[in-house]
Amino acid sequence: MSLYSLIVENKFILEAFYALIICSICMLIVLKTDKFYKLSLHRGIRYFRNAFFFYGVAFAVRYLFGIFSDFSLHYAFVFGMMFEYFLIMAGFFLLYSLIYRKIESPTEYYKSSLLNPKIFVFHIMALMISVFGYLWQTYSFMFFSQIAVFFCAMIISLVNHKRYGKQRKFLKFYFIAMFFGLAAWTLNLLVALLFNWNPALLINIGMINVIFFLLFLYGVIKFTK
Amino acid sequence: MVAKKRERLDVIRDILQTIKQNREIKPTRLLYASNLSPQMFKEYINELISKKFIKLDIDEKEKKTFSLAKKGHDFLQEYRVIESFIENFGL
Repeated sequence: MSLYSLIVENKFILEAFYALIICSICMLIVLKTDKFYKLSLHRGIRYFRNAFFFYGVAFAVRYLFGIFSDFSLHYAFVFGMMFEYFLIMAGFFLLYSLIYRKIESPTEYYKSSLLNPKIFVFHIMALMISVFGYLWQTYSFMFFSQIAVFFCAMIISLVNHKRYGKQRKFLKFYFIAMFFGLAAWTLNLLVALLFNWNPALLINIGMINVIFFLLFLYGVIKFTK
Repeated sequence: MVAKKRERLDVIRDILQTIKQNREIKPTRLLYASNLSPQMFKEYINELISKKFIKLDIDEKEKKTFSLAKKGHDFLQEYRVIESFIENFGL
């Protein structure tokens, strides 16, 4: 049996396993940073945690999506849209955790970091992208939005690394993680448009994604141990 | 050059550090040392008391002093780590 047919035959198990790994990493990141957030109430930590909370929820939805898509096409559409929405929001939160200082004043403090006037804009954008994706039956809107988000985040993390890299060692890994994130989204778009969702290529993208999340987990564990 | 406005975390660190250095400190002296407006100072102090970071002691002459509680000591120890986390993640 070739590797290709092995992947195709076990697609459901592999996808569920993949979603479970990412979901576990994200929940670990959220739980490990809980103490830091509760002690400091720092806005950056709050948005950073939101990002990984939304990634975790997105992949939990994806896992359910895998189960329910076998039963009903209607469920598949609903879960597909939810997955897109949470994933897009996670990307927005990650970028926002890097730029919130430029947008919010130091005294500005919202009780809710999930629904406040600034985050509301992201919710609208994420909703629009996922609805358009559903109407046009394409993931391209999500891919393009996330490529833009990760491109900006990568540039910001590169600037941070160049400026403070000597004293703050993890900034290098942050930049590498962003590079992997951007690479994964770009390759996702190419595989969808040019290679008709080739499963073998998707496995490789999945592995890049796992590296992205593991880099963040490594950083969080390093500082919270 | 305009001085950078202190983040919430820095303000808390400064208040706790001042109390720690003095062991016990009167509210007025702490207000001056904290460099905050009376309104902001009150908000921070109430929060720190409610979170059990600091203790408000009142003696028989009704004189009030603040002292550091165990949680406050823990925070000062954790502060460096949290600050390092924030800086290393560009947050």
